[in-house]
Amino acid sequence: MNRDQVAALKELMAQEFTALEFHLYLDTHPTDQRALMEYNEACRQLMVLKQRYQQCFGPLTFCETSGYPWQWIEEPWPWQISY
Amino acid sequence: MMYEMNSGLQLARAYVPSQVFTQRFSAMEGLSKGTIFPELYMPYRPRRY
Amino acid sequence: MWIYEKKLQYPAKVGRANLRMAKYLITQYGGPDGELAASMRYLTQRYTMPTGQAKAILTDIGTEELAHLEIIATLVYKLMDRATVGEIEAAGLGAYYADHDKALYLVNGEGVPWTAAYIQSKGDPVADLHEDMAAEEKARATYEWLINLSDDPDLNDTLKFLRQREIVHFQRFGEALQIVQEYMDSKRIY
Ligand SMILES: [Fe+2]
Repeated sequence: MNRDQVAALKELMAQEFTALEFHLYLDTHPTDQRALMEYNEACRQLMVLKQRYQQCFGPLTFCETSGYPWQWIEEPWPWQISY
Repeated sequence: MMYEMNSGLQLARAYVPSQVFTQRFSAMEGLSKGTIFPELYMPYRPRRY
Repeated sequence: MWIYEKKLQYPAKVGRANLRMAKYLITQYGGPDGELAASMRYLTQRYTMPTGQAKAILTDIGTEELAHLEIIATLVYKLMDRATVGEIEAAGLGAYYADHDKALYLVNGEGVPWTAAYIQSKGDPVADLHEDMAAEEKARATYEWLINLSDDPDLNDTLKFLRQREIVHFQRFGEALQIVQEYMDSKRIY
């Protein structure tokens, strides 16, 4: 896996982590409007990053369309990557 | 009952204050610190033996 | 249901192969205060939580713990990478090797297999949330002892991330406890 892909992956991890943190916060603060705005914005940005990443490097999850041949089986798997 | 009147807290009960969201780290900084919330960031300081 | 994402939550790396640390770290895979126990505890307790907030937080943290389980597996896998049989034996992992080679298995640092006896599901939401808060503190402490045992800054970087997550989880369970206690008070018949 090349450096560009690792960098893109880390950016994705950071954005997804932001969304997760606000997601957990909102579970116990459902009426915090500022946190809700942060969450929605983080999800929007994450969607853009994910689309871009998957176009370059293949599907990250279930029901993302695949090129031929079936791309899901491509290595490396997450535990094989040198970050 | 006196206790309850004075502090609003009851005996024999655990309380964790509710977080109030004010600021946040950037996405990258949050990931590397393990939380996006500065007020919850409590890095490990090993103790001496 | 659950859907897999082909990525880690955190870029878990190790500075070098290190069988000594692999032997200690595996307790966070299948030990009493490890990530599998955490995940199964929360995902099992959630069904009898009385409020939407409590059901949500147990579901979401239980799911995040599965991501932590994968991080621990990745670290152990990397710490054991390319070790020879002689090195494995010298590190005190000969018995593990006889049963599993270098495959991941759900055991604690002494080879005791994971058991559901590590967790409880009491049906009393206040008691269950107290267990969850204690579990987060025990996992935090385990990560601190592991950091004390390790001299690998890359490994410690990921262990510090996981430790910080336990603090955030404790906070959320504490908030859920407050919500649940208030809800139970409002339902009580006098
Ligand atoms: Fe946790």
